[in-house]
Amino acid sequence: MEELWKYYYEKDWVKPFLLYSIYFFITVSLALFSSIMVIRRLKLRNQKLESRFTPIIENILNKNLFESAFFSEFSAYEKLFKNDIFRNLMMESILNLHQNYDGTYAENLENFYVDSGLINDSYKKLNSEEWQIKCKGIKELAEMNVSEAFGALVKMSKSSNKILTIVAINACIKLNGSNGIRHLARHKHSFDLWTQLNILNALKLGNLAQIQGLEYLLTSKNNSVVSLGLKAISSFNLSEKAVYVQELIDDTTNEEILAEAKIVLNRIIVQNNRSFKYEFQ
Amino acid sequence: MSFSEFVSFFLDIYLILILLYAIFIMSSYLILSGLSIIELRSYLKKNSFVDYQILLSSEYAPALSLIAPAYNEGMTIIENVKSLLSLSYNNYQVIVVNDGSKDNSMELLINTYDLIPSDQLYNAKIATKNVKAIYQSRNAAFKKLLVVDKENGGKADALNVGINIAQNPYVVCIDVDCILDRDSLLKLAKPFMESSTKRVIATGGVVRIANQCIIKDGRLEEIHVPDKLLPRIQVLEYLRAFLLGRMAWEKLDGLLLISGAFGAFDKEIAMLAGGYSTKTVGEDMELVVRMRRYMHEHDLPYTVSFIPDPLCWTEAPESFSIFKKQRSRWMRGTIETLWTHRKLFFNPKFKLLGLVSVPYWTFFEFLAPLIESIGLLITFVFIALGLVHWDMFVILLLFVYFYSIMFSVLALLTEELTYHKYAKIKDYLKLLEGAFVEPFHFHLMSVYAALVGYYEKIKGTHGWGEMTRKGFSKK
Repeated sequence: MEELWKYYYEKDWVKPFLLYSIYFFITVSLALFSSIMVIRRLKLRNQKLESRFTPIIENILNKNLFESAFFSEFSAYEKLFKNDIFRNLMMESILNLHQNYDGTYAENLENFYVDSGLINDSYKKLNSEEWQIKCKGIKELAEMNVSEAFGALVKMSKSSNKILTIVAINACIKLNGSNGIRHLARHKHSFDLWTQLNILNALKLGNLAQIQGLEYLLTSKNNSVVSLGLKAISSFNLSEKAVYVQELIDDTTNEEILAEAKIVLNRIIVQNNRSFKYEFQ
Repeated sequence: MSFSEFVSFFLDIYLILILLYAIFIMSSYLILSGLSIIELRSYLKKNSFVDYQILLSSEYAPALSLIAPAYNEGMTIIENVKSLLSLSYNNYQVIVVNDGSKDNSMELLINTYDLIPSDQLYNAKIATKNVKAIYQSRNAAFKKLLVVDKENGGKADALNVGINIAQNPYVVCIDVDCILDRDSLLKLAKPFMESSTKRVIATGGVVRIANQCIIKDGRLEEIHVPDKLLPRIQVLEYLRAFLLGRMAWEKLDGLLLISGAFGAFDKEIAMLAGGYSTKTVGEDMELVVRMRRYMHEHDLPYTVSFIPDPLCWTEAPESFSIFKKQRSRWMRGTIETLWTHRKLFFNPKFKLLGLVSVPYWTFFEFLAPLIESIGLLITFVFIALGLVHWDMFVILLLFVYFYSIMFSVLALLTEELTYHKYAKIKDYLKLLEGAFVEPFHFHLMSVYAALVGYYEKIKGTHGWGEMTRKGFSKK
């Protein structure tokens, strides 16, 4: 301790400390600015590659979509399919197209997705350590209607990561309609309002005719799941669920849920009466 | 102890204190920037999976009341209100509070928006100056708009009138001359829906400098870095503050300031805390501190959220005289807030707020210009007395100078990796040039303005001072 004080007191360290710090700051500044330049160059390079690949991808997908061409017919591009940027772009394009087409066109894309091995890329993403890559994989599998992935998605919907949960639940709904969220009745984590709205939105985007079994959510011990069920019943005006809402009102001890249930029950009854009157007018 | 021994002892103590202070402040900036970058990366990852359109169509989206106080804004008020009315959000109202303008703002608003007196009664839950009339539009296209005409009472008073009138549970307080991103309300509303265990009492957004940017129909069309040095360095300063500072405080849950230009508050808590204080010129910071204090004192779990997306663009002062007024006012606001809430200082009852946030602001925001000025003065005295050598002083200056450049370049890299708003490399070079000049130019101006702030506070100056703006470039 004494030596340390002596060393400090003699102040021989001050100049070298300051000088080395200055060298360090200059080096780091140069490194940081070089990084900006490198990042910009990489972005430019990727942009160039993207503009080179885009017409090729459009050509391939047009043939697949409208002429039902199989993946095997594009062996000329085999090398390109090994390029990560090309594969990612291809995946993006397929997903975008799939959102806009159904029937045979959508099936063609789904077959291409499987044959080209892009489906394996999506499965690999599911096994990633990083949640955001998992989310990408989930979105891809759900968009391409890979119903075999449903079990894995249910597992992921139980994650403690909120975004992963939302993406997985939305994917479950995409693949299996409202039946895809029955398992939520046993869900342990609480859903905040934002998560609930995301799930509601996924239900809205799905086939409304498939909306069934939402009453299961009202039996959950998780109040946020019950609240989600109530919001769904209210949003879709499911007057046939009034009896379940009434049961909830009779049974629940939670005041917030009770208040929400009463509002929902009132709303669906009023709405139902209005449409009933309208039919008879 | 002889005189020379005393001087030598004093010099040693002085040097160790100055060194400790410098190392502490520099490392705290680095630690905060590290935390900010981590938080920013996490936010951007999450945000890439967020569909804000969900809020647009949902009946459960939080209802917002936008409060825009206006004083002599006749030149731009029509266009600015139009831009506020066209934001992407369904469930909101716009309350323009004319704070006794001496120009033709009211006439313009009445004629343009076809306003008629509303029968809405004014209930002053927070005491304010007299409200002359409340107007609403006859035109259904402007049904979201309420215009309040009141006696002049200052920005805080006008905001309080807006809070009293607001019909929705969340109030968004903005500067009427700011340019808002079209999705800004969607982004600002989301945090209020995200916490189920803690109540989100306030949300702030990033403010950026819009000088020399191109504005069309109240929307930002092209982003440029200003040619003039003063606003250009402020671009850099805002990047550092918002990208490398506030996100860290958000992560620590110790954010004290939500910019008065754009922030959302839980109306109930804002009212319970007493609304904006009209006794300070730093009403934005003071409200956040008071709301936090209220939540602590009532033992209510809460948090303050922050959105790193650039949501609001404002005009920075281009002349030194306006800059000096702005910064001296900021310093007065800081002093007033810290003094009003001095009970929080190192008070463990207020946890991180009392033990970290308030002391940090006291030492590194309030006292920094004073310590720096005194330090510089004493150093010059020591040099004159031959106790400190010039070469040592120059090395010390270079040490601080290159640290400052490194920190600015880190902010530029963070911007490049995140929002990439400045597309041209020329813009980055201009900002880099600003970073080289800043320590000898802008920094000295800021310290001087802060000293003016101390002086004005001691003298008892209270007002805002005239803040003339040049206006944005329009397409």
